[in-house]
Amino acid sequence: MAAPQKSTIDSRLESILFRVEKPGRYVGGEHNQVRKSWHSIETHVALVFPDIYDIGQPNLGLAILYDVLNQQPDVLAERAYAPWVDMETQLRESGLPLFSLESKTPLNKFDILGFTLPYEQIYTNVLNILDLSGLPLLSSERGAEDPLVIAGGQACYNPEPMAEFIDAFAIGEGEALILDITRAYQEWKRWHGPREELLKALARIPGVYVPGFYEVTYLDDGSIAHVSPRMQGAALPVQKRIVAKLPPATTRFLVPNVETVHDRISVEIMRGCTRGCRFCHAGMVNRPVRERAPDEILQAMQAGLSATGCEQIGLLSLSSSDHTRILEIIRGVYEKFKDQRVQVNLPSLRIASFSVDLMDELKNLRPGGGFTLAPEAATERMRAIINKPLDEEVILETARTIFAHGWLSLKLYFMIGLPQETMEDVQAILDLARKIKGIGKSLKGNRVRIHLGIATFIPKPHTPFQWYSIEDAQSLQAKIDLLKDGTRKSDIKMTYNPPDSTLLESWLSRGDRRLGAVILQAWKNGAKLDAWTERFNLSAWLSAFETCGLDPDFYTKRQRSLDEILPWDHISTGVSKRFLLTDLRLSQAGKTREDCRNNCFNCGILDTFGSLKPSEEEVYWGCP
Amino acid sequence: MTDTQPIRVRVCFAKGGDLRFTGHLDLQRLFERALRRSGLPLRYSQGFNPKVRLNLASALPLGFSSEAELLDFWLDAPLDHAVIEQRFSAALPADIHIRQVKFVPNDLPSLQASLQSSRYRVTFQPPLDTNELAEKLTALLAQETIPFSRRAKTADLKQLLLSARWQETVDSADLLLEMKSTPEANGRPDELLSLLGLAPGTYQVCRTGMTFNSTEGENNG
Repeated sequence: MAAPQKSTIDSRLESILFRVEKPGRYVGGEHNQVRKSWHSIETHVALVFPDIYDIGQPNLGLAILYDVLNQQPDVLAERAYAPWVDMETQLRESGLPLFSLESKTPLNKFDILGFTLPYEQIYTNVLNILDLSGLPLLSSERGAEDPLVIAGGQACYNPEPMAEFIDAFAIGEGEALILDITRAYQEWKRWHGPREELLKALARIPGVYVPGFYEVTYLDDGSIAHVSPRMQGAALPVQKRIVAKLPPATTRFLVPNVETVHDRISVEIMRGCTRGCRFCHAGMVNRPVRERAPDEILQAMQAGLSATGCEQIGLLSLSSSDHTRILEIIRGVYEKFKDQRVQVNLPSLRIASFSVDLMDELKNLRPGGGFTLAPEAATERMRAIINKPLDEEVILETARTIFAHGWLSLKLYFMIGLPQETMEDVQAILDLARKIKGIGKSLKGNRVRIHLGIATFIPKPHTPFQWYSIEDAQSLQAKIDLLKDGTRKSDIKMTYNPPDSTLLESWLSRGDRRLGAVILQAWKNGAKLDAWTERFNLSAWLSAFETCGLDPDFYTKRQRSLDEILPWDHISTGVSKRFLLTDLRLSQAGKTREDCRNNCFNCGILDTFGSLKPSEEEVYWGCP
Repeated sequence: MTDTQPIRVRVCFAKGGDLRFTGHLDLQRLFERALRRSGLPLRYSQGFNPKVRLNLASALPLGFSSEAELLDFWLDAPLDHAVIEQRFSAALPADIHIRQVKFVPNDLPSLQASLQSSRYRVTFQPPLDTNELAEKLTALLAQETIPFSRRAKTADLKQLLLSARWQETVDSADLLLEMKSTPEANGRPDELLSLLGLAPGTYQVCRTGMTFNSTEGENNG
């Protein structure tokens, strides 16, 4: 590997930094940053979050991989983020490549570039970063001297839209895969084989998807005819990898020197969710539920706080109140941290699993701030359709308890555009919000604030709703208008997504491999930083679809047939298509399924991963 | 715990390297966290969201380095200078270097309130011709007023500049400036240099010292 041109970059970087906004984004140097000597380390990995530092730095997934890789004596991991527009201009004008924060090494000098793809709106940034690093965008055009480009993260359960650009996808949990991939790379590199051999070795690792080894053919109607492996040993389907027990939590967090969007550290208390909400991608793809024990959580919190000096810590999970020992955790947290001037955030509390005990304990934990509840739908009919069953009385009672405990500000999250939703269901959102406001007022008077957060339903792959079309923009707009009008009259604050703003996510989340050409063309048309609402360039995308001869509505406004081969069918999350289909039918019949920790519905997780399940004493799995 | 008199600690520190690109508010948070990591018995503010009590003398513009920044913070219990310095240093990033730790009386006014002026050293890299620059500066200073605009308002730089002189170096010359640093009138070397046609990033600025009110300057502590 050639020596990085550190000194040159540093001196040229110097003058650039005076010309950009918030230059601290580009220099690293955070407390707990790991610096290793480039030349004495065999393998160099750049972990890339394809949005700006402010968004990417707090990402827990990347922090975990940074920690895991840097614990290996023969591996060095550094970080890179997308530059903001002003920095990109400066880099291009001065002919500087994008570089890592730690050693300011150009990304094309690394052995492996690992992108995290938590959501779809950052795909063009990946192309932009490859381009700024002087690398060919297409996997097929990269040679033996170029870094291996891999990607992982929640969006990769449908890797197809990015298949042309990424050499290999890590499907599933990064902790389970990253070292296998790194070791395979090292073996190949020592042996000096052709790049094809590296890709073959990777394709043989369970959980690694090398799209170049799979051929996709299409029917005349545009749906998929076949997905077939072109290489012996390439798995079909590619089964996601998981860790049977969550490894010790990362505690040596980097402490940013400039402000980021979530300036706190996090401890994951539980992974997965057993509730089975039918719209929820995270709830389906992250099974099974695995908990961390209270002792381990408290120790990790203390270690994280001591290592960083942070004053805020978040306890993360998809549904915190579903942790079997949540009361013990909250009591423990209060006892341990009450004198340490630490603010503890416990998001994702589920209404039905609330108890007055829990509220009493929470009150100790965070006396200020607001409270958030997510009923998602406001009629019992609708809640049965999405499988989030709740009696309205329970919701109202929960709100009453929240106000009675002294909270004055309550955020309510709902979705619109759900399957079979009518105007009455949307009106019911308003009615429910007003009732809750009334309860608040009767207990606490005019100081009570209600904030309505309205999200647009987007059907996601690997969920029971994956076959549905999205609602058309006009009818969504009518629903938004109804809510806007009603909330204004009732002095309720409301936030929502304009219908156009969710199109990109809708196209890409259920896209096929042909969308690669659209992403490339959209990027050429100037699309980048698409997740920034004010920068999203709809016409760049529409024109890209046109150039590529593809119809955007094919991906969103089409009810998929139940026997259609879906672009992500060859990627397995462990939850079977048969289960999703049954669940869809139950939804259409207005029937719910209870929390599956009480009653296994045979989703497929135990068939796939049951042999990994540790004893109950060792770790709590949600599967009975 | 809080009914005892707090111990006011004054730290003089140098700041450089990549931390030049960490601004004032971010630097405050960096110190809060470093102090929390240090394990020193810190005094916190009262109220709902107690914060580490600390106080920086003056915001250093983004991109400047400094040899003489000042920070006050408060302890709940007395400790030896050396212990404070050792523990605080260990918790700080390498781009901050503690130069001195001392105790000052609690009744001194805040650092910001008594700051009068700052001294800066501006260094230039060849091929920039400092002789030519010196001529331009002389011409500029000969003007009766030096109008410049800051945030859409016009001000007179001459009122903010206390002194300017050159100091020869091996292959160039440094410009030594003293400028007012009060809340009402705060001079910035980069504003002067842009009037001379120099863009930020083509020179380096280092704050070399600060002057406080003669009544209770830091040396009276």
